[in-house]
Amino acid sequence: MGRHLLTRYDDIVHAEKLPEVFSSREEGSLLRTVGPNMLREDDPDHRRLRAAAEPPTRPRQVRDLWAGTFERTAHELLDRIADRGEADLIRDFAEPLVAANLALVLLGLRNASADDIAAWSRAMMDGNSNYADDPDIWLRAERATRAIEEAVAEMVDITRREPDGSVISSMVHAPEPMELAEIQNNVKVVIGGGVNEPRDVFGVGAWALLRRPDVLDRVLGDPGLWKRVFEETARWISPIGMYPRQLTQDYEIAGVTLSAGSRVALVIASGNRDEAVFERADEFDVARPHRPHLAFGGGPHFCMGAWVARHEVSALAWPLVFGRLKGLGPTDSAEDRLEGWVFRGLTSLNVTWQAA
Amino acid sequence: MPIVIFELPDGTERKVTAASGTVLMQAAVSNGVEGIVAECGGNASCATCHVYVDGRHTELVGPPNEVEDEMLDFTAAERRPTSRLSCQIQISDALDGLVVHVPEEQV
Ligand code: FES
Repeated sequence: MGRHLLTRYDDIVHAEKLPEVFSSREEGSLLRTVGPNMLREDDPDHRRLRAAAEPPTRPRQVRDLWAGTFERTAHELLDRIADRGEADLIRDFAEPLVAANLALVLLGLRNASADDIAAWSRAMMDGNSNYADDPDIWLRAERATRAIEEAVAEMVDITRREPDGSVISSMVHAPEPMELAEIQNNVKVVIGGGVNEPRDVFGVGAWALLRRPDVLDRVLGDPGLWKRVFEETARWISPIGMYPRQLTQDYEIAGVTLSAGSRVALVIASGNRDEAVFERADEFDVARPHRPHLAFGGGPHFCMGAWVARHEVSALAWPLVFGRLKGLGPTDSAEDRLEGWVFRGLTSLNVTWQAA
Repeated sequence: MPIVIFELPDGTERKVTAASGTVLMQAAVSNGVEGIVAECGGNASCATCHVYVDGRHTELVGPPNEVEDEMLDFTAAERRPTSRLSCQIQISDALDGLVVHVPEEQV
């Protein structure tokens, strides 16, 4: 792939904290699907966009403004499947939950449905990893991005008149407001990542617990541990396994001098299993000593959805699923449905329980 | 240059220089002070650069700003009246001799 891979924890942390050398401005498939956006900008441009978008994602906002709606949606989704006694927890619960939270609540795209968001997200993510250059995949991605642009344009008009606290509204009303095209592109990025990342942490963590009944019992007896389950899941199988950077100057790292313009991959999936930092790194262990993992990235691009994801997955989705669906068990090992390396997660998680 | 002191949870002290015009977190990170994680690189979005300002210096350092105040509700170690995010503390000559305590946990 024409890149130097940074795979050690320390080297990744070092690179993340030096954005002036390891630049985010890089040409690539992400730009083809969504256009210029804050993930591919450096400060000061990045800072302006991030400052406009971030306020509704901060933890107090999540707790005070969004948590109630998130919880209602989660209950509704569980109400729908509770009597069935079996479901795919990814398709029937996690994906619609995070899509609804993202679209209807956080972004304020009230003119779209959770299904729209999930489908758009999938179409764009397929485009982002379309290394085989399949024209059908590009076409679907383009249709999705056009649909998002239209939905965003409409909500920009509405929130311009009536601010509603959403991310789009925040982008419109920021002290340094964003242009329409900037809002559209950045909403595409949020939809692209905002569905699969929390969904994948949910799926992998639920799967890990279903296969470790002793750990699950411990967590159910001490709900404070859900937080540890979240951080350990994100470390163990990070939903984003790699992201790119490009060097602005010659630079020596890990004993190798890379020349200006070199493309680099920060391999989070590897750094999070660096034995120098995490003992028995391949094991899922919620009791391991607390060390910061790399799943949220670091430096100015630290994941904007971190607090939303922590709340919706560890404070809400897992406790509700394991609390309401009694006798939950996996129907198979699910292992073969763990897919992807740039984006990694379970494509489905089939379970049964005792229907009420 | 002002000298600042980080007292670690095990009682050891790290004395480092901090350039005026930078922030306290920077002094910790560039000197490898353990326990200041600073995941977000100083943007008040991660709450992993938490410190307790020593009682003698709280007035000098002042209270948290608005964005920081919110983030302090979400630190891994308990929030105390002396809690600050070290990325939001601007270093000036007046802070020479500042002592802060590094909490047990940041994540
Ligand atoms: S470095 Fe992230 S809040 Fe201070």
